[in-house]
Amino acid sequence: MLRFGTKPEFMREMELDDIFLSRLQLLVIMAKAYLNQYPLGEFRQRSILENAALVQIDSEGLAEEAVAWEKDKTDLGSMDFEPVFYHRVKLLTVMAEAFAKGHTLEDHKREALEQNLESICEAITFRKKLSEMQFLKVA
Amino acid sequence: MREVAIIDNVKIAVIDEDVVVRDFVVSTLMYSVNRNVLTFDNGFDAWIYFEESGFPDMVVADINLREIDGLTLTSKIKQIQPKTIVALFSDAPHNENAAREHGADVFMAKPFGVNELFNLVQTFVVEPEPAEDDSSES
Repeated sequence: MLRFGTKPEFMREMELDDIFLSRLQLLVIMAKAYLNQYPLGEFRQRSILENAALVQIDSEGLAEEAVAWEKDKTDLGSMDFEPVFYHRVKLLTVMAEAFAKGHTLEDHKREALEQNLESICEAITFRKKLSEMQFLKVA
Repeated sequence: MREVAIIDNVKIAVIDEDVVVRDFVVSTLMYSVNRNVLTFDNGFDAWIYFEESGFPDMVVADINLREIDGLTLTSKIKQIQPKTIVALFSDAPHNENAAREHGADVFMAKPFGVNELFNLVQTFVVEPEPAEDDSSES
């Protein structure tokens, strides 16, 4: 029997934050596959549209919470991204809907999609900007 | 470069009463294989469907299911259709041994993400590459 997933000591219920980040990761993969001209079939198209819609709903709610957090400085747990991050995520969902519906993205839009993906990936990977990690500049 | 092939008209069923987790698993698998994915929220409905309409190539199920739990469902599936791949997921470490004893092919420890589901597809749905034909090189 194969085993995938978390180590036994870290096993727990999947929370809404886990699902949001996993769905966002899936959306990033979907966008990268599109940019790499991977084929898009009927069910892939449906999956992209459903995923983008759900990520969009979650990101709108989380953006409001992030704005409230900026005002009150209350602890919101692990999802402490800045409001601009959620705007970038929403932009990604709109772009994903466009390519899933077969609209051709012109060069400047493809470039914008690539930049947006890069920013989102960096935010997911690091809670600080790469340039702020001073220790990485020394080897 | 070789063409990658997936099992022809691969049939996958996802069973979980937690709609949020189930829909995430379905979205990821549907995207991966570009095929429709069957969904059920309990083991009994899934079992009735399998008996009446045929067994899928792969079942991805939570262990905690109403009426027929994931472990019992695995034993029943393996008894009748051993070729069906069964992946069980759980948030309880003690369920790993139980899954093995009941004949599951994969244990997925929660929380899991996109990568684990892609691994599942890559391991069981992508058809193996044909063996190198050494004779053609001589």
